[in-house]
Amino acid sequence: MTWFTFPVDNLLCRCLSITITLWLTLLLVFTIVPAVLGVSLGVRRVYLRTLLKIFEWATSRMEMGAKEKNQELYKPYSNGIIAKEPPSSLQQEIQELRGSTSSLRSEPEFDMGDVFFFCRRGMESIVDDEVTTRFSAQELESWNLLTRSNYNFRHINVKLTVVWGLGVLIRYGVLLPLRVTLAVTGISLLLVLTSLVSLLPSRKLRSFLSEKIHLLCYRMCVRALTAIITYHNRQNKPKNGGICVANHTTPIDVIILANDGCYSMIGQIHGGLMGMIQRAMVKSSPHIWFDRSEVKDRHLVAKRLSDHVADKTKQPILIFPEGTCINNTSVMMFKKGSFEIGCTVYPVAIKYDPRFGDAFWNSSKFGLVSYLLRMMSSWAIVCSVWYLPPMKREEGEDAVQFANRVKAAIAAKGGLVDLVWDGGLKRAKVKDAFKEEQQKLYSKVLIGEQEQRDQSDNRHL
Amino acid sequence: MGALQSLPGQPEYVDLAEKTGFSFEQIGVLHKRFKQLTHNEETLRRDHLNGIPDLACNPIRSQIIEAFFDRRNLRQNGEGVVEEIGFEDFLVVMSHFKPPKLHITEEQRESVRKEKLRFIFNMHDTDNDGTITLEEYRHVVEELLSLSETLEIDTAKSIADAAMLEVASISMGHMEPDEFYEGITFEHFLKLLNGFEIETRMNIRFLYMDTMNFCNGGQ
Repeated sequence: MTWFTFPVDNLLCRCLSITITLWLTLLLVFTIVPAVLGVSLGVRRVYLRTLLKIFEWATSRMEMGAKEKNQELYKPYSNGIIAKEPPSSLQQEIQELRGSTSSLRSEPEFDMGDVFFFCRRGMESIVDDEVTTRFSAQELESWNLLTRSNYNFRHINVKLTVVWGLGVLIRYGVLLPLRVTLAVTGISLLLVLTSLVSLLPSRKLRSFLSEKIHLLCYRMCVRALTAIITYHNRQNKPKNGGICVANHTTPIDVIILANDGCYSMIGQIHGGLMGMIQRAMVKSSPHIWFDRSEVKDRHLVAKRLSDHVADKTKQPILIFPEGTCINNTSVMMFKKGSFEIGCTVYPVAIKYDPRFGDAFWNSSKFGLVSYLLRMMSSWAIVCSVWYLPPMKREEGEDAVQFANRVKAAIAAKGGLVDLVWDGGLKRAKVKDAFKEEQQKLYSKVLIGEQEQRDQSDNRHL
Repeated sequence: MGALQSLPGQPEYVDLAEKTGFSFEQIGVLHKRFKQLTHNEETLRRDHLNGIPDLACNPIRSQIIEAFFDRRNLRQNGEGVVEEIGFEDFLVVMSHFKPPKLHITEEQRESVRKEKLRFIFNMHDTDNDGTITLEEYRHVVEELLSLSETLEIDTAKSIADAAMLEVASISMGHMEPDEFYEGITFEHFLKLLNGFEIETRMNIRFLYMDTMNFCNGGQ
């Protein structure tokens, strides 16, 4: 029996080695070499176009299938659930409410009916409000062959299921291992090369080389995610001695921005792999890493920031003022800390195209590793980056107003909704001050009418 | 990661639609919202509702939230409050605010009206004795007004007292000096708000109307 297994073994070995060689060659030619040289072969854009055609076909099949069975296709309501009337002031609404009972009463006063107004408003906020929807992933109108973003998947027809099955095979069997290999190569290159460069004596040579190394590694990581990025207005790219602010959707934002230029990162030192990467990065270029204890000390943070910014040879700092990940349909309140320093701010707007893979990191649902795995098993990550012209704080403007101005510019460019609310509401509650505002408004309405009544009383007397 | 999701089957919705009067579309939308509020858990608790920022601005937020957990609104026989509710109970409370159908009889309109007014009555009558006493009424007024510079605490009290007196005079007519007005009963409440078009004022305007309404009669 042994002579029989030998040739089979041989055959198996040969097949395996051929596959591996082929794979590595492909990898080398199509991804690593272009990454090193900074050249793009255009493979990814062709891939995108093909995918889009397939998605359109899939959605039309689903719609046809639904029509045949006379069922409703669940379409996500992107405009909100409730028809909100044009905002009218508290006073107008209450007078409108009372208007219907004016035949009974001649004097304005506290009316039981006023409660209805607040009750209805309360119910409407329960059914639909602007903030809680921003902390869960956006919904798509067409299906992108990923079950995680689909609410309609039922066995509509065989063809569709087959295509979906193929998609799963390709994504998990081909794309995922490829990407993981790339990511591992990229990170190890970063670690090794930065350690080597830090040994060099000449400072100029060190910074020159480290720039090249960082760019190389970020390019590899971008290919590891199959991220297809379009940069707009590159003449506005952030320059040394400034701060770059952007809206935050995912930790991948960093890779996307750093792919095009060198930035200094700012953040807390972690342990494990992240910590190793952070320490390697700081050896060759200036980043600002804080210990856990230093993070709370605002003055220390501000001082280090301003020191870094004052040195014109240092790269611009990359900051995400929202403080947390938002689902890329809106921009939430910017924390004023980075706007108090008084240097030039370079705003950047990042908008992801959710059709190929949702990039939002819902940190309450997924940990970082499972998030990265999901990212690497989506079709692609497609995004646009807009560099906005630099802004400076004007005379008579305080940090909060400046922050809002920058936020509005980013929201306008990226096509996002500009919200006043704090991203921290993901985990914390609203302050009571807001409730008191409403109470004050209402009591003003009453007082005004109370005075009217007093006056009319006097007239009667 | 690869689990096949399916929309809650239509048969479940049929029961809910009959019980509460919402359309399938509206139930679907509300179900999604329920899952969003509870972070995909089965039951809704008070702190889930407390987490809505818009609601936190509302002066009578705590009364509105309590209304969801009040047994009287859940059409359960019994008193007191529950700690958590499921989707069906959520829908039942929401059905007090559903938009009125276009073709209903006078009788149905009257019962819809009564139901909505009962909801508001329950919101005021916190100890469930069937009357809204002066204390309870005063409490609502104080919640709505701000205890700050605009209004002193005495003014708030006097506004509440004046309103209560007005109510008493309407419902009881002339009172003897030593007669004690216990509070507003539900019948008085109905009489008070007689002219008030609550059917049209107290409902949530869904953006996508029930398609079935358009098919019938076409108005």
